[in-house]
Amino acid sequence: MVKFALPAGSNPVKGKLHKNETGATNIRNFHIYRYDPDTGGSPQIDTFEVDLDICGPMVLDALIMIKDKMDSTLTFRRSCREGVCGSCSFNVDGTNTLACTKPIAEIKGDVKIYPLPHLPVIKDLVCDLSHPYAQYSAIEPWLKADTPPPERERLQSEEDRAKLDGLWECILCFCCQTSCMSYWWSGDRFYGSAVLLQADRWVQDSRDEAKGERLTELNDSYKLFRCHTIMNCTASCPKGLNPAKAIGHLKNQVARRE
Amino acid sequence: MSMRSPLGQARGSGSTDHGVQHWLAERFGAIALVPLGLWFVYSMLGLIGADYNAYQEWQSQPGNLILTILFLLALFHHAHMGLTVVLEDYVQPEWLKNTSVLVLKYTAFFLCTACILSALRVTFTA
Ligand code: SF4
Ligand code: SF4
Ligand code: FES
Repeated sequence: MVKFALPAGSNPVKGKLHKNETGATNIRNFHIYRYDPDTGGSPQIDTFEVDLDICGPMVLDALIMIKDKMDSTLTFRRSCREGVCGSCSFNVDGTNTLACTKPIAEIKGDVKIYPLPHLPVIKDLVCDLSHPYAQYSAIEPWLKADTPPPERERLQSEEDRAKLDGLWECILCFCCQTSCMSYWWSGDRFYGSAVLLQADRWVQDSRDEAKGERLTELNDSYKLFRCHTIMNCTASCPKGLNPAKAIGHLKNQVARRE
Repeated sequence: MSMRSPLGQARGSGSTDHGVQHWLAERFGAIALVPLGLWFVYSMLGLIGADYNAYQEWQSQPGNLILTILFLLALFHHAHMGLTVVLEDYVQPEWLKNTSVLVLKYTAFFLCTACILSALRVTFTA
């Protein structure tokens, strides 16, 4: 059966309180998921008293400040700090989003930061993305064409190029993918919203000559059709994209061949 | 514990190349159920308080009989498809998933046949 309860030993317990002793007045509590594979045991929720007066405006700024000034063992991924690399995706305040583009001011009360849901946790906020990345490789995300390359680039009309808008901007942060219940229950076989949005990006590309092969590969009651249009994906995308629409488009493309 | 590569796991056994049929059948079934369901509810409301003879007379009209059978077929087909997806989503052990999907299939088939035979019997024992 679906495991509604976490396996023994993975329910988070109350962790350490990191007090702010600097006499700061503008304090906000950050509750952060901690798991250390070296010591094992249950994950903990540590609380950090963050001085907002000396901290930048975004949730990522607070994480960096905590790592810098309060606890250097706090582990998380980040790189660009401006919403283009897709590294800093966490569950913040109950929703998957990018910490670097999420203003602390948008969150009322204490700030809760957890790893992306339903993926194996490697350490603290770092989860194992091997499977979603492998699913991404499985859709063969590159241009496939048998026509020999022309002297210069392969041409595309402006209208055809416009069809890729809303798809090429995806930064593969997997916020959408891991917010989807269908992915939680059947992620071993269901490709998930981010991967399917990317699949649509290649199906829609007028220069690609492998559309049929791609659609055949997707026409499966798990890989594509496990999407039940719950729309969590679209609600969570921090880039404002619409994976549910891309998936709808894929389903229609497959149906049109019948 | 498997030492299979992540890509091998993601590709799994490949695509069955039929998933869209189930999806389309679900949609067409749902569309058909709207008028059939409305017609059925409307007819049943008309029979409130009626005795068996009145019902038998209603059921014996060829149009009503055909529509009743179509309604039953669409209803059981749709319920069967919907519940199958629920089982596939929520039952994890492979053997239990397959067994429950099969049991559901036969139950739906049995109930649907029983309902249609009843309607025919009511019609033809007039
Ligand atoms: S539309 Fe719903 S089921 Fe489909 S991928 Fe998005 S969240 Fe998942
Ligand atoms: S569609 Fe949006 S949420 Fe999903 S991976 Fe791409 S950028 Fe992230
Ligand atoms: S750090 Fe690159 S998206 Fe947040």
